[in-house]
Amino acid sequence: MDGGKEEEVKRVSVQPIDEWIERHKKEPDAVAREKLERFEKAVELKEPDRVPLMFFTCGHVFAKWFKLSEVYFDYEKMREAIAKFASLFPADVFVSAPAAEGFILAVAFADVPQIAPIVRFITGPMHDILRDRWTRWPGRELPEHLPFQFIGGEYMKPEEYRKLIENPIEFIHSSVLPRACENLSKPGSPQYAHTIAKLALEAINYFNALNNISSTLIKLGFPPLAVTFAYSPLDFIGDFLRHPTGAMLDIRRYPHDVKQATEVLVKPVLQVALILKPVGAKYAFIPLHLNEMLPPKLYNEFYWPYLKKVIEELFNNGIKSFVLFEGDHTPHLDTILELPRGWGIGVFERGDIRKIKKRLEGHTCVAGGITPGQLIGWSPEKIEEYIKKLIEDLAPGGGFVIAPGVAEIDPATPSENLRALINAVLKYGTYRR
Amino acid sequence: MTLSEEFVNAIVNLDEVKAIELTRKRLGAGEDPLKILDDLTRAANIIGEKYEKGEFFIADLVMAGEIMKEVSELVRPKLRELGRAREPIGKLVIGTVEGDIHDIGKNIVVTMAEAAGFEVIDLGVDVPPEKFVEAIQKYNPDIVGMSCLITVGIESMKKTVDAIKAAGLRDKVKIILGGGRVDQYACEYAGADAWTNSAAMGIRIMLKWMEEKKKR
Repeated sequence: MDGGKEEEVKRVSVQPIDEWIERHKKEPDAVAREKLERFEKAVELKEPDRVPLMFFTCGHVFAKWFKLSEVYFDYEKMREAIAKFASLFPADVFVSAPAAEGFILAVAFADVPQIAPIVRFITGPMHDILRDRWTRWPGRELPEHLPFQFIGGEYMKPEEYRKLIENPIEFIHSSVLPRACENLSKPGSPQYAHTIAKLALEAINYFNALNNISSTLIKLGFPPLAVTFAYSPLDFIGDFLRHPTGAMLDIRRYPHDVKQATEVLVKPVLQVALILKPVGAKYAFIPLHLNEMLPPKLYNEFYWPYLKKVIEELFNNGIKSFVLFEGDHTPHLDTILELPRGWGIGVFERGDIRKIKKRLEGHTCVAGGITPGQLIGWSPEKIEEYIKKLIEDLAPGGGFVIAPGVAEIDPATPSENLRALINAVLKYGTYRR
Repeated sequence: MTLSEEFVNAIVNLDEVKAIELTRKRLGAGEDPLKILDDLTRAANIIGEKYEKGEFFIADLVMAGEIMKEVSELVRPKLRELGRAREPIGKLVIGTVEGDIHDIGKNIVVTMAEAAGFEVIDLGVDVPPEKFVEAIQKYNPDIVGMSCLITVGIESMKKTVDAIKAAGLRDKVKIILGGGRVDQYACEYAGADAWTNSAAMGIRIMLKWMEEKKKR
């Protein structure tokens, strides 16, 4: 919580980031246009004018300035926090979703297109309405200064795979939601009906809040990315139904059931992801969880074929996937080459980013390069030197985006370090013509 | 192949049914239950080696841990019946650090460490630095394990190591960090002795530490 003090640090000379921040203020529209073009060129595997920088956050870093319980439960505070971070630490692509994983709700309401994409993330107020057990929140189950945390859980027994396979949406409503959400525990009760009605109303509130956030960001020089959301079918089972540990054991104990269930889930996942196609969705966010945990043999049999189907089908519909390859994806890297060239963006967390870029060169836009551990512990000078070298090695050939992996930026990360990262990208990232 | 070798192979091959069947067979034949437990330590070591070589993944460790837990549960009553106890290889105090309530990784470590012969004191999740310090004073462990999944954990790990230093206990314990966001940079920042992204490697590092300690 030392952000306020740090911002007042006297700066002897004007750095590139300061000039860039000035430009954001003076000509936000032009800056936003440049950013979008820069990013899109990288996605198209070309060399833009400069290597783009991308930040993601679910809001942990806002603890620098705000009580997280307020950010997550008050959409106006959320907007303020996003604007503050964006103004102080501008990136080319800034995606902030201060809400928890809730893709199962999107699947549950896949036939209600007005709601499904909005309840795809569980916000603080939605958590209050549902009292779900997948997530824990500051000022509720957690102390006020902590970020919300997704812990999942086991809400389906292994012998219930059959029911899931027969009719996933029906099974989610009749069995999973009642077990996972306190306020949906009695289907058919007034409480159940009221909870669903309140959730729908909250979805409208959140939709309006998202629009406000988006217009604030546009005014600040941040282009909106037209995004939709998808999921890897096996992760769906691990995250919402069987707990990741349960899913990993099930693959060995009930391989047939697991395979059939993942196959069946492809359809509702795509149904949800394509809802936003008519309004121009261009990118589909797909966070992966079990990927690095599986040995190639199991990955190739239970995970990848279904994720691949989702990515390919989205690509056929003009939507590029934005896949967050959690952990070290190196053992599965070659499978990515089975996808059509230019299928989307791979964000990598660990593994040798140089090897990854080289392997996927000319096929996949690669994002990553610096970890939260480096950002929090290194000096600004070391960060600058590291980024300079990273750019020298990886910028040539294009198709590269610098990003701190798939994880959150720690609020304890010194502001000077974040500035050093942005400075270095601005200083060394320009492609020579 | 001896029964003992066959048993170790069954675990390493993640053959749950066979490992359980062989445990029953060995117990039924009146074999010393401690020998079965020693085989678990051997299996844990081989699994660690395989992980290091990139032949094993977390899903394999989860399965191996589950098998070892089942074997231990079968062996334990027999051990009690004989009035015997296993001499622990070492003592581990472990917890997910303050601010983080995730426990999947930590639980895999607990299962595997117990199977490998460690006495494990599990402090749970969201464990503040002072609780780690108290536990070190109370249990006098050889090793302290800190786990986290989310990035706020990195700062908590540093605070915890600092608290252990301030209490004058840093030289008494080896400290290992584990978790999805942990890397060598986080380890350097926090001031720990080792880090790992996997339970198997963690167990191997800890077994090595205990061997070194024995030699001293």
